[in-house]
Amino acid sequence: MALTTQFLSSIRGFVKERNAQKLREWLLVEPPVPDIYHNLAKELRGVAAIDKLVEKHLPEDDDVPADQGTAWRGLVAFMEDYLKYWRDVDFDDLLVAHELLMGLTNSCTTALNHPLYGTMMLQTSVALCGSLSKLSMTLNKRPDLTRKIQTIDTSGGDEEQKSIIDKTAEVMQRVFTACLTDRTSDRSQPPEGKKVGVYTFANVTLKLLFACRKTHLAKTIFTNISAKSPSLSYYPASQRVTYLYYLGRFHFINSHFSRAAQCLEQAYLQTPPAFQTHRKLILTYLIPCKMLLGYLPSTALLQRPEAEALSPIFSQFALAIRTGNYLLFQSTLETHEKWLLRKGLLLTLTFRLRPLLWRSLSRRIFLLTYVAPPMDSDKPNQKAATLDLAHLVVAATYIQKRLEGYVPADAGPRSRPPHVNAIFMKAVASNGGPGTADSTLVAPPGGAKKLRPNDGLVWGNMPITAEHVEGVVASLVAQGLLHGYVAHSLGRFAIMGAAKKGSPVAAGWPNVSEVIGVGDDEVPGLVG
Amino acid sequence: MAADKQPTTAEKPEQPQTAQKSAAALEEDDEFEDFPVEDWPASETEAAAQQQAAAGAASAATEGEGKGDNHLWEKSWDDDDTSDDFSAQLREELKKVEAAKRR
Repeated sequence: MALTTQFLSSIRGFVKERNAQKLREWLLVEPPVPDIYHNLAKELRGVAAIDKLVEKHLPEDDDVPADQGTAWRGLVAFMEDYLKYWRDVDFDDLLVAHELLMGLTNSCTTALNHPLYGTMMLQTSVALCGSLSKLSMTLNKRPDLTRKIQTIDTSGGDEEQKSIIDKTAEVMQRVFTACLTDRTSDRSQPPEGKKVGVYTFANVTLKLLFACRKTHLAKTIFTNISAKSPSLSYYPASQRVTYLYYLGRFHFINSHFSRAAQCLEQAYLQTPPAFQTHRKLILTYLIPCKMLLGYLPSTALLQRPEAEALSPIFSQFALAIRTGNYLLFQSTLETHEKWLLRKGLLLTLTFRLRPLLWRSLSRRIFLLTYVAPPMDSDKPNQKAATLDLAHLVVAATYIQKRLEGYVPADAGPRSRPPHVNAIFMKAVASNGGPGTADSTLVAPPGGAKKLRPNDGLVWGNMPITAEHVEGVVASLVAQGLLHGYVAHSLGRFAIMGAAKKGSPVAAGWPNVSEVIGVGDDEVPGLVG
Repeated sequence: MAADKQPTTAEKPEQPQTAQKSAAALEEDDEFEDFPVEDWPASETEAAAQQQAAAGAASAATEGEGKGDNHLWEKSWDDDDTSDDFSAQLREELKKVEAAKRR
């Protein structure tokens, strides 16, 4: 019992001098630990009444001088649990270790909640939550272990079975709430007391939730921060950047791209160049966000060392957006599908970039087909410049066929094989070039490729109709991405305001970033 | 700045391994690791570099969009050049379809 007594009296000493640092250094829970902890564990297995022992050696003193501290009920309960933790824990049985550690973190939160002395447990709480988070992530990757508890528990109540991650997040959110509701300082002042830990606990919880793909649970954290937290600017840079990264990703997942871009851009701007991997992760989400808002990454950005691995992907997306090249867009998605899926970018980019592709494609077709009427100074009120939607149908059909595996007829070797009849060649040439009678494309040998729904221009192998194209153009007009109107009876898109803008193309296809890139002023979860 | 110099010299890629390296770089861990330091001055960040560049550009009264290494995003990116392959293919297809219609 000597070791236990000694340990408790040391703890009492640290509490007396309110030494949070020492408490953290002593109250270890995660291996590797010095041998003395294992010896302590051995000794504790022989102790009959741990509770009594703790109460005896950690008394709640009266009349404590203002600069000193004393044990309190919450701390005594925590220390009882702490010693029991070491008595019972077996690091080869991760499930039991996790259960014990959750219980211990809970009692630590109760100790932390003490209005006067609680703050002394702040650092220990940080350490406990870090260990708990690590252990939970390990378990999350071990369904062979977690399946066991599910089979045990479902025999019981009707309550929906909560996963390890749900339960852990709940425990950690209690610590977070304890910090957030600390009354030592007002939210408009630099944080004091437990408020110092607000973003630390938010971040440790967010890390767990994002790693385990339980991001919907993060909403509570952001709502609470919005409602009660001091300004993010009071906290150290590493905490700010980490928080902004997760908040940005949360808004991205919820399709609030302008909010996401604001958070991620701030995160990027506050991260020094030396932190390459952090910068790269931020850019992984910031670049897609900005693209969706009509800002493309500059060459200078893509040439930065942290963008080295991202550049082959995003430069191709950017080029496809610039030129309306749907073929390049689809092939880029296909080439990097696995990576985009893992990063949670695949569906968003597959569908959300389409309006920009259609916009650029229609612009390209206008550039290719529009013939300006001869200038006539007598008639200043010229008819509006238009895009013949039939041309866009042709282009869309061409793209759809290429996606289905059709190939340009002249893609083969240029020189005519010797056995081909010259008269036949002449006949083909007078038909208007190689290919079929009404297309430059020929079907692939095995027939059209079967496309998945998202691989086709409209829906899988569905052929493109005039209605599809008109619908797309009308929706681009409604979104403000095209400026003008659909003249349905003429089958044309008519451009408005060409004279004012100087050219029909400038008027009909306004700058995307000016249309959709305008940011929301307020970002939920961000206290500036 | 010392902080600027360090990564550029350390990160210099060896040419033959670049492709392999970038493939491997995409495979690495997805986690946003804890930073090795708790805090750093604003002067070491990108924001400071951006401000310096903006101040430099303003005093030199150069181009509005801001060129050089600190120009991160393109706002006006529409491409009026129709001499690329994709445009050429579309042009041919339009021509052929038009011709077929007229016959």
